[in-house]
Amino acid sequence: MGEIEIRSTINGKTKVLKTKPARTLLSMLHDDLKLTSVKEGCGQGDCGACIVIMDGLAVNSCLVFAGQADGKEIITLEGLAQNGDLHPLQQHFIEQWAFQCGYCTPGMLMSCYALLLHNPNPDIEEIREAIEGNLCRCTNYRGVIEAVLKAAADLNSISQIKERKNA
Amino acid sequence: MIIAGGTDLVAQMRAGIVHPGLLVDLKLLGLDEIEVDENIVSIGARVTHTAIIESKIIGERFPALVAACRRVGATPTRNRGTLGGNLANASPAADSALPLLIYDASVVLAGLGGERIIPLSEFFKNYRLTALRPGEIIKEIHLPIPTDKTEARFIKLGKRRAMVIAVVSVAIRLTVDESCKIQTARIALGSVAPIPLLVKAAEGILENQALTNEIIAIVAQEAGRGISPISDIRASAEYRRNMVLVLVRRALTEISQNLQGAE
Repeated sequence: MGEIEIRSTINGKTKVLKTKPARTLLSMLHDDLKLTSVKEGCGQGDCGACIVIMDGLAVNSCLVFAGQADGKEIITLEGLAQNGDLHPLQQHFIEQWAFQCGYCTPGMLMSCYALLLHNPNPDIEEIREAIEGNLCRCTNYRGVIEAVLKAAADLNSISQIKERKNA
Repeated sequence: MIIAGGTDLVAQMRAGIVHPGLLVDLKLLGLDEIEVDENIVSIGARVTHTAIIESKIIGERFPALVAACRRVGATPTRNRGTLGGNLANASPAADSALPLLIYDASVVLAGLGGERIIPLSEFFKNYRLTALRPGEIIKEIHLPIPTDKTEARFIKLGKRRAMVIAVVSVAIRLTVDESCKIQTARIALGSVAPIPLLVKAAEGILENQALTNEIIAIVAQEAGRGISPISDIRASAEYRRNMVLVLVRRALTEISQNLQGAE
């Protein structure tokens, strides 16, 4: 099958990409664009290591074909830090020891980021539900849950400060 | 071959189970809206499980469908996976098939020869075999809005809450009259036969009856007669037979408690 041209916004930049349509978004992001945070674990949608945000929703990039990403807005872990400053989620993952080997971490962070996009004040049950598709086999999920709670609190106080400045 | 969310198809392609020469994505057709037209809720085939969970009308009128969609895979699966895809994949364990069966869903099938509408109970023909003809797609799913007092339950038994294929699943709907006598009963079972199925004989026992413990025990036994489970890596046939009894009893007991509580 020949290549097609797709137009996607990736980490805030609009790109025109030439790709075979029926190869995975995972492979396009990792191999072509060198966004190596996007990891292949199982390759069949079970482990969550390849999760990215597509149009605001967490998706397994191993189950999305590159052609289906045409016109979509994609965020990978590389898009979280701004001007060299880690996102509060990343900072709290470090402080809470929310990872050990780190292989699941990019996908885990994207699931948590997607959760906070839709729900700025998640409770523990909602955090658990958001990461139930992310397998971590070497540390535990408690650190992750703590990190999300603390990041949510940080983000809310940042937005309150902004509101006060605007008022 | 048609691709929707890809959550089944891409994994099957990778595993070498299917080798489509051509893939057609239906996204240009839309088919991603939930619409209410008088007494029918029409769900486009490309509506995702997440969209079902977030829909107000589905939550109010078809809570067992929301409960089932919440148990599909995990969040990323639900964000991509579609109702039409779940039906076309025709797994005996398809989570959304059971609530759709108990709510008397119909499917609108469209092809070059036009459209036809069939009850979902006639859509599943055999293991992973459907009534779809070559060139036909699922366009919409139609759900009649229940008019009388209705209670429904969906229960999925798996080794964990997320990311599992059901060992056994059950969906039950009862519609009752003012004296709580059962007018309509639907019992759907998953992962215990080549297709997701309604067990008619068990449903028949409930009609025109009050929901007593004795009736519940008889119905659970009868539901267990209508199945043909297999042993596989997830469970033995014997375990599945036992669990059908347990889950039917549990769902009916919960419905009974709710009906009494509402009085």
